[in-house]
Amino acid sequence: MQPLQLFRTLILRPLRRDLLRTTLTILAVALGVGVVIAIDLAGDAATGSFRSSLETLVGKTDLEIVANGGVDERWIARLAALPVNARFAPVIETQCIIQGAGAATVYGVDFIAQSRNAGGESPRDLDTAAIVSSALAKRIGVHEGDSLSLALSDKTRAFHVASVADAQDAEFVLLDIASAQQALNQFGKLDRIEVFVSPREDFTRVEREIRRVLPASYRIEKPGTRSDENQRMLRAFRWNLRVLSYISLVVGAFLIYNTISVSVVRRRPEIGVLRALGASRRRVFWLFLGEALLFGVAGSLAGIALGRVMAEGAVGLIADTVNSLYVSSRPAAIAIGIPAVATAIIAGTAVAFISALAPAREAMEVTPVEAMSRGVHEHHARTHVRRNLVWAILIGMIAWPVLKVGPLNGNPIAGYVTTLLAIAAMALAAPAVITGLSAMTRRAARVLFGPEGLLAVRGLAASLARTSVIVAALSTAIAMMASVGIMVGSFRETVIVWLDTQLRADLYVRPAGRTGAGEHPALPAEAPALAASVSGVEAVDVFRAMEIEYQDQRAALGAGDSAIVRRYGRLRFLPGEDREAILQSLPGQDRVIVSEPFANKHGVHAGSVLELPLGDRTVPVTVAGIYYDYSSERGWVIFDRSTLLKCLPHQPPTNLAIYVRKDADATEVRHTLEQRLANYRVVVAPNRTLRQNAVTVFDRTFAITYALEGVAIVVAMLGAANSLLAMVLDRRREFGMLRYLGAAPAQIRRMILLEAGFLGVAANALGLALGFVLSLVLIYVINKQSFGWTIQFHPPLALLTGASALVLAATVLAGIFPAHAAARLNPIEVIHEE
Amino acid sequence: MNPPRLELRRASKVYQNNGQKLEALHEVSLTLAPGTITALVGRSGCGKTTLLNLAGAMDFPTSGEVLIGGRATSSLSENELTALRRKRIGFVFQFFQLLPALTALENVELPLLLAGAERARDTAGERLEWVGLADKADSFPYQLSGGQMQRVAIARALVHTPEILIADEPTGNLDNASGDQVLGLLRDAADRFGATVLLATHSAEAAAIASTRVQMRDGRICAVEGS
Repeated sequence: MQPLQLFRTLILRPLRRDLLRTTLTILAVALGVGVVIAIDLAGDAATGSFRSSLETLVGKTDLEIVANGGVDERWIARLAALPVNARFAPVIETQCIIQGAGAATVYGVDFIAQSRNAGGESPRDLDTAAIVSSALAKRIGVHEGDSLSLALSDKTRAFHVASVADAQDAEFVLLDIASAQQALNQFGKLDRIEVFVSPREDFTRVEREIRRVLPASYRIEKPGTRSDENQRMLRAFRWNLRVLSYISLVVGAFLIYNTISVSVVRRRPEIGVLRALGASRRRVFWLFLGEALLFGVAGSLAGIALGRVMAEGAVGLIADTVNSLYVSSRPAAIAIGIPAVATAIIAGTAVAFISALAPAREAMEVTPVEAMSRGVHEHHARTHVRRNLVWAILIGMIAWPVLKVGPLNGNPIAGYVTTLLAIAAMALAAPAVITGLSAMTRRAARVLFGPEGLLAVRGLAASLARTSVIVAALSTAIAMMASVGIMVGSFRETVIVWLDTQLRADLYVRPAGRTGAGEHPALPAEAPALAASVSGVEAVDVFRAMEIEYQDQRAALGAGDSAIVRRYGRLRFLPGEDREAILQSLPGQDRVIVSEPFANKHGVHAGSVLELPLGDRTVPVTVAGIYYDYSSERGWVIFDRSTLLKCLPHQPPTNLAIYVRKDADATEVRHTLEQRLANYRVVVAPNRTLRQNAVTVFDRTFAITYALEGVAIVVAMLGAANSLLAMVLDRRREFGMLRYLGAAPAQIRRMILLEAGFLGVAANALGLALGFVLSLVLIYVINKQSFGWTIQFHPPLALLTGASALVLAATVLAGIFPAHAAARLNPIEVIHEE
Repeated sequence: MNPPRLELRRASKVYQNNGQKLEALHEVSLTLAPGTITALVGRSGCGKTTLLNLAGAMDFPTSGEVLIGGRATSSLSENELTALRRKRIGFVFQFFQLLPALTALENVELPLLLAGAERARDTAGERLEWVGLADKADSFPYQLSGGQMQRVAIARALVHTPEILIADEPTGNLDNASGDQVLGLLRDAADRFGATVLLATHSAEAAAIASTRVQMRDGRICAVEGS
């Protein structure tokens, strides 16, 4: 018989006959692959394009000049005077809100120079002129000459549409640079200077000349550097998400293993006959690997379609997190390309291939004689319980030292490897756990559930080869759910406690509008004085936040009044650090405190000196202490305001923290403050609102992880249903026999449901134990290495109990159809099959 | 007068296979008294197993009647049939059909457990002792020989002291020594427990223990020997 013909008769035909199980397996693979694709596509789309859309209008920039605290505009004149054939364009980039149309990017550019360069005329009334990209103009329905209201920083300002620029793919508004500076309270400061080098000019000479005149604290970057930095910054976040997305595929791997094992067990007699007729071992091996590959390819193809659909749902969730925690970006369209398709097919097929290796090998080793005797396979599995347990212990022992390895290239590879080793150890320990649980619960099962209980418990232990695989699959999903649940629960609790120490003021003032990560719009300069003048206000902490670059990594810099923080705050420092002494040492000194993620990321300790580029100079500052912080993964460097102003004068505040006198009514103070600031676009938020918002952002951030866990559980459930169905088909003679012995159909049904329940209990026991171990790996290794923060261990018991009960109920539900099928079997047919 | 334990009245069984009718049993009539052994003999496919299924109330005649204790099996509800199998019928098969997950004692105990009977374990122990396997009570089927498995199966079939014992080729898969042991037990079942034993067999030795031998061919009874 030709190999293909053999494949058709021995593999394809039974698959067609057993369509439900075939579909369940393919669906499980499709879900696993789908999740991987969805996270990849949604991640790409959510992080969007960080490239400046200005490029579409003014052409490709050759170099960009940037500096922490902004670029002083006087450098434009100095650069323009350089004897090089290059053009220097000042740029301010920010976000605005357009009433009823959401956010858009605003660029402040030199209208006059740009028009001159383009050979046209600059718009009249430069102060109010706005050029709108055609894409945005189309969306918001404005034309040349229309008026346009933009909410910028603390005010809404009126502009007129001077012209519509041809840019179909990008939405932006151009303002004149002076007008933008005025709107943003950013006098004399630019976000960057863009350099356009003439094609006839020597590029390196231009770069050298620029470097010669600029202060060392200024950076000269190639375009795309920022985009690369953003992607680098998001790498840990995306890595972790991606790893989590592979869990469903791992669960799916158990399923394929199970399906192929069932296939091999069922066809042992046929394999025996084939071998007797001269089929080589290799041919038998490839026959079953072929079956797995079929599942892999079919599942992957279905997974691509599924992933595309799921990506739509995931992109919003990921974009929210990116914007809240990392950097402002606008999601791009979801684009499914060849790499995504290739990833899907490779991932699905590879998982199928690897998980089928063992059962295919087993098929290969079937001898004609062995194939004729039933029950050998189960016996085989039973005798290996102890050996597998020893392996599980050995793997567990290997995992421990692996855990001590530090991050590789910034990624917690050791943590992931440990996780995989722990899953492998658990899978190997599963037969021992089932056997042990079965022995322990035999008496109880019989007393509680009668003969059905006894049969259920014994039946599972007897079909160990099969049940241990499905318990391992379920346990993996449960362990992931539990570990991520514990990690997120602990993190949440830690953040809530931290918010209590961090947010001590009664009222907070910030500019209205977008509050994405890395955006720190300024408040009006007069806001602190206005706030302090309100009756009942005891103290006003004026805070300035800005984005900086330190050691080629993005960070946040902040400056506040350390005396106020000392008096009212409860900032927590690392163990052994004296809060009072640290805060006291800050004013007027070149000393800073840094957040824990910053310290971890840059290997900084108390006493370290940071060479911080600020404005035109590089300032050496000493780290006075390291405090716990969970607001930014990039990390904070905090100055006393007096020190910052010394280095960077004229810094407008970005936030105010207002402390109300004990005898004053905070609500009344808030209302008065809102009245005083009514002319500005600011938000006055009471303490409670701010905390609630923070927790809301937190919950939104982790919504995606719950979604991923949900999919893993669904895959495991499909596996449970699939496995129970296979078990019913394989043990049909036994069920028929029970009918002969006087079992009622309802008793058979109850027995299967009890088996399903027992599977759920065993999987829960194993999964929760593994989940506990993995949560420690997540909290103390993966999270610490990826994001740099210390999470206090607070397992969310109610959530875990609820989730376990849900999984147990779902497992029993997965048993309903197989139970029904078992009860409907015709005893005569199944008993006389031989 | 008590009705006969088991009675077949012109019982026929017709199977439909791909639109084609196949008559497995044709107007068979048979009456079995308590404590008797009846052997059905004939070639494969002659209808022995079909007749056993009808007699064990696992299947129903297409025409005619099968009466157990005077009641037609086809008139019984699913619950009544289950109750009938639990109380009045025991089965022994050629391939033993022990549940691999249960020990010998648990296998024997099972019909009593399913019926919710009390003192199940004690009774099962007694039956196991009767078949001479008390020392194998905790052994699993895969740890027993074929003869031992069939003896456990007979203990299981008789654990609830059924009125009717149906045995399908009980020695078909055994060596001579084991077969003799099993036949001895079947004879004992009729003598000691008063069971009505109906067995289907190819073996002359097995047929020899029967008081009545029913010769079958093409779904019909062609000869009846003995009392």
